[in-house]
Amino acid sequence: MFPPAHSGLSRRRQTSTSDHDMSFLFDRLTSLFRSKPRLKPAELQAAFRGHYKEFRALLTANNNALELMAELEQALTAGHSFGMAFVRGNCTALSVNIYKMIQHLTRLADGRYAELDHPFRTITRELEQLIAIRSLSKEGPVILSMDEIDVTKVDQVGEKMANLGEVRNRVNLRTPDGFVITAAAARQFAAANDLQVEINRRLKGLDIDNLEELYTVSAGIQGLISNAPLPGELEEAILARHQQLAADTENELLVALRSSALGEDSINVSFAGQYRTQLNVSREFIAQAYKEIVAGKYKSQAIVYRQQRGYRNLDVHMCVGCLRMVEGDISGVLYSRAPDDPRSPFVIIQAAPGLASTVVDGSGATDQFRVSRTSPHPILHKQFAEDENASITGFRKMLTDAQAAELAAVGVRLEEHFGTPQDIEWSIDHSGLLYILQSRPLGRSISEESPVNGAYNPPVTDLPEPLLAGGACASRGVGYGPAFKVRSSLDLLRFPKGAVLVIETPYPEWASLLNRAAAVVSETGQMAAHLATVAREFGVPAIFGMKQAREILTNDTLITVDATAGKVYAGKVEPLLALAAPKPNLMVGSPVYKLLIKALTLITPLNLTDPTSPYFRPDSCKTLHDLTRFCHEKAVVEMFNFGERYGFDDKAAKQLVVDAPSQWWVIDLDDGFTPDFDPESRYIDLGHIVSLPMLAIWQGMTAFPWGGPPPVSLGGFGSIIFQSTRNPNLDPAVRSAMAAKNYFLISKNYCNLSVRLGYHFALVEANLGEFLTENYVSFQFKGGAADENRRLLRIRLISDILNEFGFRVEQKVDAMTARIEKKPGSFLLERLKILGYLLIHTRQIDMVMADEGMAAEYRRKIMADLHTLLISTTEG
Amino acid sequence: MATDLKILLIDDEIDFVETTCKRLIRRGFSAKTALTCAEGLTIIDSGWPEVVVLDVMLPDRDGVDCLREIKEKWPSLPVILLTGHACMQTGMHGLEYGASDYCLKPIDLETLVEKISIAHRESRKPGI
Repeated sequence: MFPPAHSGLSRRRQTSTSDHDMSFLFDRLTSLFRSKPRLKPAELQAAFRGHYKEFRALLTANNNALELMAELEQALTAGHSFGMAFVRGNCTALSVNIYKMIQHLTRLADGRYAELDHPFRTITRELEQLIAIRSLSKEGPVILSMDEIDVTKVDQVGEKMANLGEVRNRVNLRTPDGFVITAAAARQFAAANDLQVEINRRLKGLDIDNLEELYTVSAGIQGLISNAPLPGELEEAILARHQQLAADTENELLVALRSSALGEDSINVSFAGQYRTQLNVSREFIAQAYKEIVAGKYKSQAIVYRQQRGYRNLDVHMCVGCLRMVEGDISGVLYSRAPDDPRSPFVIIQAAPGLASTVVDGSGATDQFRVSRTSPHPILHKQFAEDENASITGFRKMLTDAQAAELAAVGVRLEEHFGTPQDIEWSIDHSGLLYILQSRPLGRSISEESPVNGAYNPPVTDLPEPLLAGGACASRGVGYGPAFKVRSSLDLLRFPKGAVLVIETPYPEWASLLNRAAAVVSETGQMAAHLATVAREFGVPAIFGMKQAREILTNDTLITVDATAGKVYAGKVEPLLALAAPKPNLMVGSPVYKLLIKALTLITPLNLTDPTSPYFRPDSCKTLHDLTRFCHEKAVVEMFNFGERYGFDDKAAKQLVVDAPSQWWVIDLDDGFTPDFDPESRYIDLGHIVSLPMLAIWQGMTAFPWGGPPPVSLGGFGSIIFQSTRNPNLDPAVRSAMAAKNYFLISKNYCNLSVRLGYHFALVEANLGEFLTENYVSFQFKGGAADENRRLLRIRLISDILNEFGFRVEQKVDAMTARIEKKPGSFLLERLKILGYLLIHTRQIDMVMADEGMAAEYRRKIMADLHTLLISTTEG
Repeated sequence: MATDLKILLIDDEIDFVETTCKRLIRRGFSAKTALTCAEGLTIIDSGWPEVVVLDVMLPDRDGVDCLREIKEKWPSLPVILLTGHACMQTGMHGLEYGASDYCLKPIDLETLVEKISIAHRESRKPGI
């Protein structure tokens, strides 16, 4: 097949350390000893086409696999939210594509490499176990009394109720009587109706950015759950326990049903306001209310929230507390510290007449108190709500100084007990008894977000006059975007990504917009509102209590929201935006995030880096990346060897003639030569080559004459001599004839070029198919003559340039790979010209890379040339 | 790319098949739907479809089983598995029994069209 040039091979094999890209040449040697089936020309052509088809399909699967791997890796760092469905779906698609690669390779190699099945099964079995849907235990009691609950029961009753049990039974504070319908009950309910399969099916295709779809799917799932019958035994158990509770009640017993999801309320993760609470539920409606609360697990904002935080729906179980209603005279929220200062010497109390829910859902005006944490807990500061009714009636329930002191003491006690500042819901009944309704860790405090810049007013001067001022900071930071007013669910659907959410009241429902909002401006509400908590967790700047916001701000006007200072400016205020802290990566530490990290250990590490190594074999494949690498490498080898195995004559490799025979050789895999080309010829000219990717590379290689090696300073030259003594391949006298050859393997739409130019190796591969799925350009680059530092500088230069042209670049020591996939052919052809140019013009510049001036000069020249190249060839 | 392919969608998720069917027709393809494997087999038996897109979960039969029967009787008819439930075993069994591809919902129409076209192209004999 090839001109006889085997002389240097054995020596090169012993000495080669870095030039693995040419390794397929060596595999040829082994195949020399195989018997060669003699086929008739027509049969041969058909067999070749068949092989080429397998090869092309393998490349497409490889393309898909590499893209999926990159997506999985990027998920870790991009800070976008992803759910279990993403991980499971991508891992599955990835495994299937690699399975396809193995199938194609085996067919391509006439049945060899079947032993790849073993590592593949081993890896995927482990991966499958990792991402499998765990079957849920339905065991354990379906009901637990509040008297038997503390934090050790968290797996049965959820964190909210476990904490409340702790308050009741360990801290011995008053909480409402009642019981919890456990996680086991929720599982039994789901299992009895086979709900989970259907729920998963509906969630599977869900795009949480498509709000209309989100609401439809959410409503559908909630309806499904609410309409499913409760298992008879479970309903009886609930009602029986309710009757016991009613026994010592004079009037009809009314209960509050409170959601207590497993996984909610742990530190830094409050599913604040995401789930339902139903108040004043009578006996006949308990079953229905229970189902609706369980269904609340799939409220739209809860789905979004879980996905953003990386919670698997399956890991969240909805437990429900069933508690005697407290006839709240006055109720509210208590923070054991100021949310923006974990060392504040006072607690903050927000109080309003009636039930606590008006404070929490942001709808009621509240009185605010700062009360000293030190006994006797004097009130340090009071601020009363403007209440129109109060001024009319002249009567309004107020917290007494004694009650404020009692609350402050409770806050301190609970913080001591739980070891961290607490966010407490409380209610005082008609007889003056204080009940604790909930206690949970105070969410991500505002000050945690930027510990360095502790000042409230950023040290920025020369600011324009604000459009609005005087709002209260609900979540620190600066945001910029077009204003968008939201009044109803209809507006929700039209809310553009990156807009500033402008609202009258911070209802919890708006939380589903927070992953799309640049900032929030609300006319009313305070720090305790759930929307504020969620905004802080998402790092979305928010101003509450910004009067006239909806009047002054018009839709689509660009505004800068300085939440920290409570001001809104027209247009883009750069000095303020420069202060904005980057958004926290909410996924870090979540169960899905941890699971993905684990899964990636089976996927991305590349152990098979050197195809010339004796360990480059199937049983060394430890990850899916190894398998793709192995399959791709061997597939190229198989295509290279095809002619030989099937007894082609020696003329498959044609020497490219440009004026004179060149150092470039071309092998046609399918339809890369014009039909009138004489297959007997040993030479080929460009006119007979129709491979689009090869011609593009060639164009890039030849567009500008190479200026020759750069003038080398003494240091640079010295470094070459030093390298040469260590690496025999660098010495031209030792270099084998084979290594000097550069092969294009081509078809009309495919090109694989392995190059040894100067002292570096490069591999360019491209496929421009009919379909985007098949398209890619990949580039590998390695080596050089100068010392490591200079080689790295050159690789960095090339990486930077390729990055600018849209390549995804990975660099490991002095080896680099760059890839683009699934882009249109015209786009990829331009990239190939760029690669062609770089192949020629970065030769030996590693030697001058240490000279900053020269490096900059080369960079400037390269960019200018590339610019000219792209413009001239586009116009031409 | 051939845009006049005859595509059969076998899937019991009515919203999905009907929308997809309509959108394929709008693209110039011919498309039919079947909600069960049995219904699908009848249409295939008529010789109409050139590519089949098959859901893995069907009310009357396991989708992989359905695939098996299709590939036994019409080995050259390309079948793409499309499912909402990611499952490696199903994917690999599917490929073993001759599925051209295995894809997961959600899938955008562009990608699906490409997969259909590639499956159709690859199903032709080499050199034609």
